[in-house]
Amino acid sequence: MTHKQQKERAQERRNTLFFAPMAVLAVLLVALPLIYVLGMSLTANDGSGFTLANYKALLRADYLLVFANSLKLAFYTTAVSLLIGYPFGYCMARAPRGWKSLLMMLVIIPFWTSALVRIFGWKILLQGNGLINTVLKSLGLIDKSIKFLGSYGSVLLAMVYCMISFMILPCHSAVDKMDFTLVEASRDLGAKPWRAFLDVTLPLTLPGIMAGCVLVFVPSVGIFYLSDIMGGGLVLVGNLIRDQLLKVRDWHTGSAMSVLLVVLTAGIYLIYRRCGGDDLGVM
Amino acid sequence: MKKLICLLLMLACLFTCAIAETVNAKDEAVLNIFTWEGYIDYSTVIEPFEKETGIKVNYATFASNEEMFEKLSAVNGGEYDIILASDYILNAAREAGLMQKFDASVVTNFGNLNPDFTSKFFDPANEYVVPYVSGIPLIVYDPAVVEIEIDGFEDLWDPSLKDTLGLIDDARVTIGMVLLSMGQSMNTTDEAVLAEAAKKLEALKENIHVLEYENLHNYVVSGDIGAAYTFTPFVALALDANPDLKVVWPKEGLGFGIDGLFIPVNAPHAGNANRFLEYMLRPEVAAVCAEWQYYCTPNAAALDVIGDWYTARSEFMGIFDRMNDAEFVLNLPAADEQKFQDIWTTFKLGL
Amino acid sequence: MAGSKRKKKRNLFSPIYLTLVLLILYLPILMVVVYSFNAGRTISAWQGFSTNWYTRLFSNGLMKDALVNSLVLAGLSAALSGGIGTLGAIGISRSHFKFKGAVESLATLPMMIPELVLGMAYLALFTGVGVKLGMGALVLTHTTFCVPYVFINVKSRLVGMDPAIEEAARDLGAKPLRVLFDITLPLIMPAVISGMMLAAAMSLDDVVISFFVTSAETTTLPLKIYTGLRSGGTPEINALSTLMLAAIFIFVGLSQLIKAKSDKMTSPR
Repeated sequence: MTHKQQKERAQERRNTLFFAPMAVLAVLLVALPLIYVLGMSLTANDGSGFTLANYKALLRADYLLVFANSLKLAFYTTAVSLLIGYPFGYCMARAPRGWKSLLMMLVIIPFWTSALVRIFGWKILLQGNGLINTVLKSLGLIDKSIKFLGSYGSVLLAMVYCMISFMILPCHSAVDKMDFTLVEASRDLGAKPWRAFLDVTLPLTLPGIMAGCVLVFVPSVGIFYLSDIMGGGLVLVGNLIRDQLLKVRDWHTGSAMSVLLVVLTAGIYLIYRRCGGDDLGVM
Repeated sequence: MKKLICLLLMLACLFTCAIAETVNAKDEAVLNIFTWEGYIDYSTVIEPFEKETGIKVNYATFASNEEMFEKLSAVNGGEYDIILASDYILNAAREAGLMQKFDASVVTNFGNLNPDFTSKFFDPANEYVVPYVSGIPLIVYDPAVVEIEIDGFEDLWDPSLKDTLGLIDDARVTIGMVLLSMGQSMNTTDEAVLAEAAKKLEALKENIHVLEYENLHNYVVSGDIGAAYTFTPFVALALDANPDLKVVWPKEGLGFGIDGLFIPVNAPHAGNANRFLEYMLRPEVAAVCAEWQYYCTPNAAALDVIGDWYTARSEFMGIFDRMNDAEFVLNLPAADEQKFQDIWTTFKLGL
Repeated sequence: MAGSKRKKKRNLFSPIYLTLVLLILYLPILMVVVYSFNAGRTISAWQGFSTNWYTRLFSNGLMKDALVNSLVLAGLSAALSGGIGTLGAIGISRSHFKFKGAVESLATLPMMIPELVLGMAYLALFTGVGVKLGMGALVLTHTTFCVPYVFINVKSRLVGMDPAIEEAARDLGAKPLRVLFDITLPLIMPAVISGMMLAAAMSLDDVVISFFVTSAETTTLPLKIYTGLRSGGTPEINALSTLMLAAIFIFVGLSQLIKAKSDKMTSPR
């Protein structure tokens, strides 16, 4: 008994040692900067000590609208990514064995080149004399170029394009893990394909869907440069923070904005974990 | 366990490497340049400098003046030897004590510069900054798309331009443009004037199709928009791609910008930096820079050796006729800067 | 009968859909490749064919430095975050440590902080404490924001793993580290590798944090690309991206080939 206990203690010590490097990194390079930002947000610009004024300064109708803008864009991005990414992950998981790893590679490779370069590729495609307009014209579907660039849709496209792998991978993983005999069984019992999907596949793959949604939604809230490049002229939280930090050079209000953003996204993450989505299984 | 220990050791090594003191590098044959990517050409400018002097050039880049300023302040005006940035941030850097005077005994050819471009607000006594290039934002439009003749800012409000404008996504530049159209200074901080400008900007909403800081020429060339208010090199690039485009020097007034080189106060290789300034001021080097960067050159001597194609282009040479109309965007105190940002945020939210 | 019919239907939809999405995924990249041969200086208007930008690229020593730096950085941070994240995931999923939840949340937090804020905070902290900016600082910060991707990946794999396998090995007298290297690691290897691939991708895409923690001597390719595109940009950057893509495809193709061969040899399934 004592021997076993001793063994268990040794095991426990080893486990703690295992995640020690991660803990050190988390404390030094995550907690410290966060405390720094938090401290900034709670001190006055003139160095007169503790204040909540920076947070009060955020209570403006236009700032709230900016936060709403970011949340809205992140929501649409997540929804579209799910609509496209889930079937893709599904098909990937049901592909023949030999194809799976190749497909996985093909999904990840684009993300090894700069997102900016790829977005410029989209701009070339979408512009007035670009490939898409040219094709549509030669097919006789339109006679005047569609102005894709600068629209909300083009910003959304860029967002989805940059985030979709974070949706595909967990969805693929969830479908891959699923026991398909259950679906077969429900079909054999006479369920229509649609019913079988809704009643069996969807609930079973829900954790993957949830994980994908969090992995897409959370970073999407803070992204702003994609909208800038697509010429969308949107004001997102990221724009606001950048202008506050770099243009107005007011670190204190800028920090308060960042803290609010972190609290918001971390809140969503926590709700997700409360709902039982403990592992954000990517693969 | 061995691998774990290895990993921990590696991490520890990294930390120590990172924390280790910098070697004293005063006498190294190195020059650290900090500017935008591609702003000083490698093969025609930097490589010849390296060959001539034996100095190895490191070229670090930033995306915006503001980011450069943050970085330079954080490293206490050290780390870099030459910084190339825009006028208003040059002024901020000088006021913050982040610059050192260049050595006039090494930089003997400052006189090559056209006096119209020196003694400016960012360096009134010509002690710190060597102007590199200069630019003026202009209106470029496609007469095949735009039905009216544009000759000033006021025309941008014409109802026929609905959804065909591209403007610079920058509070100071674009609100400044509105202020110019009202006959006001781009740097006014008068609340009433700014409120009126905000209202006038609001009226422009219908005509705007796209807001972007750079690369607006692409939209004009591809036909996505009919007219853009954009910086000199982009105007020139647009004309390269489509010679039928028309360029407008707005009659109400002009924005003006100078990008200049300076040596940070704690530059590790200030001696090499001074040699580089002397090199950059040489007429043939300045000419090559202007030709490649598609900007106006402030170097009078360079105009004698520059290509004829360059002097034939009005985007680059027109500045000399309108020198007195041109106004800089000055750096303002945070509270005033905030006013511009607020107007801009409100405006963009309503788009 | 019905079953085979179902299968046939799916087999038709699936490849079409996969191809379609992949096509959309790669179409913009194809544009980048095509426009790297543009004679003109803009990246949007086609002004004739030219390999001029490749010539410029090959003669530009600064680009080569940046490329090497980026690959070293991506490799080091993927390896480090791979090690740290994997060990962390194993430790945390097996341990009953009180603060493990806190460590876990903290380690995944970098995904949520705006990178500009993180970058500026790092800059302030590093210069305040006296950490030298440069490759060391780059690797540290990249490892930090890469760890969550490996950690989450590996942990989800561990959660789905049967603990009986490890127990059996232990009961048979295997030393704990032997269990780790011979049983656990091989089982979670796919997750470790895919996590490290994502980590490399994150590192190769980071601009903002890199900008703030790098030194004058060390510049990375994404940094050059980002600052170059924003200030007008030249097809040189497209050329560079094309070369990088080609290198990645060759690397991936070779590894797939090797993998296919070894799969054939080891698993007759």
